Amino acid sequence: MSIEYTPMRLDGKRILVTGAASGIGRATAILASQLGAQLILCDRNQDGLCAVASECPGSQSLVLDLTDVAALKARVAECVTEFGKLDGLAHIAGRPYISPLKTVDRDRFDDVLHLNSYAGLNLAQLFSSRRIGNDGGSIVFVSSVYANVGSAANVGYAMSKGAVQSMTKALAVELSGKKVRVNCVAPGFVQTEMSEAISAYFDSAHEGEVDKLAPLGTGKPEDVANMVCFLLSDAARWITGAIMAVDGGFTAQ
Amino acid sequence: MDKNAFLDELANILDEANVEDAANLRDYPSWDSLAVLSIVALADSKFGFTLKFPDVKGLTTVADLWAFFEKNRTK
Repeated sequence: MSIEYTPMRLDGKRILVTGAASGIGRATAILASQLGAQLILCDRNQDGLCAVASECPGSQSLVLDLTDVAALKARVAECVTEFGKLDGLAHIAGRPYISPLKTVDRDRFDDVLHLNSYAGLNLAQLFSSRRIGNDGGSIVFVSSVYANVGSAANVGYAMSKGAVQSMTKALAVELSGKKVRVNCVAPGFVQTEMSEAISAYFDSAHEGEVDKLAPLGTGKPEDVANMVCFLLSDAARWITGAIMAVDGGFTAQ
Repeated sequence: MDKNAFLDELANILDEANVEDAANLRDYPSWDSLAVLSIVALADSKFGFTLKFPDVKGLTTVADLWAFFEKNRTK
């Protein structure tokens, strides 16, 4: 027996993926492409973006610093004119910030907040315009378990990711009139270039400790990409304002 | 950031009125993993280099730490 309708498919949907050059963004782009989506891939890293684009046939690439709001608005508008209006947005670009309270630096914190939180708000603002996004679309943000679970030396990152969860709920209500769904994934510790950069600060004993944080161990970018694509798809058509933990059971403890 | 400003920052991290060149870092009561992370963050934000935990293990005195910062700083 064949299944004729598979709601997880993304055929015909035009989706903007930020942070697409690496980690969860890269895995999401590749999976969404395999599920039939047409993609606009966005990242600062041109080489990484080229590599991912080669795995996503028909995709367009936007090399862009998301904290440059004027450039973001102009470039996304240009892309939509050429490519067509968007049905989905996955804001995955993000940056860690390890610092105990005493050394939290305002400039560095502003950078983190800008990319992790404000950029999502700016993108949602664009997406909610009928010139850019179609009614009935889906926005997916990426937060973190550390928005909900305290950890030392992480206050700046936790605040930036907590804001993403608050934004998700507020926008889910505000954009419901346009049938735009807004959801958020809260990953646990995932093996990515970002987590490797953090691990580089520590010695090798740290790696074993990280793997014990969650009952199911450390995740892979694909584990989170599965949830992002589900939320982008029609299979999630009655889900909005949700914070989905994808954390190997970390927050079940 | 010059040496005096660095010593002020370090004293703040270690909850001391001041710190001395010859003092052993591990003799300060507030020396712990969070203090080390604060020093790592200081290296990143004010001196423009990545200080790693294993690097810190090889440093003994305040003067050693400053010398390491001086050698590796990019700003």
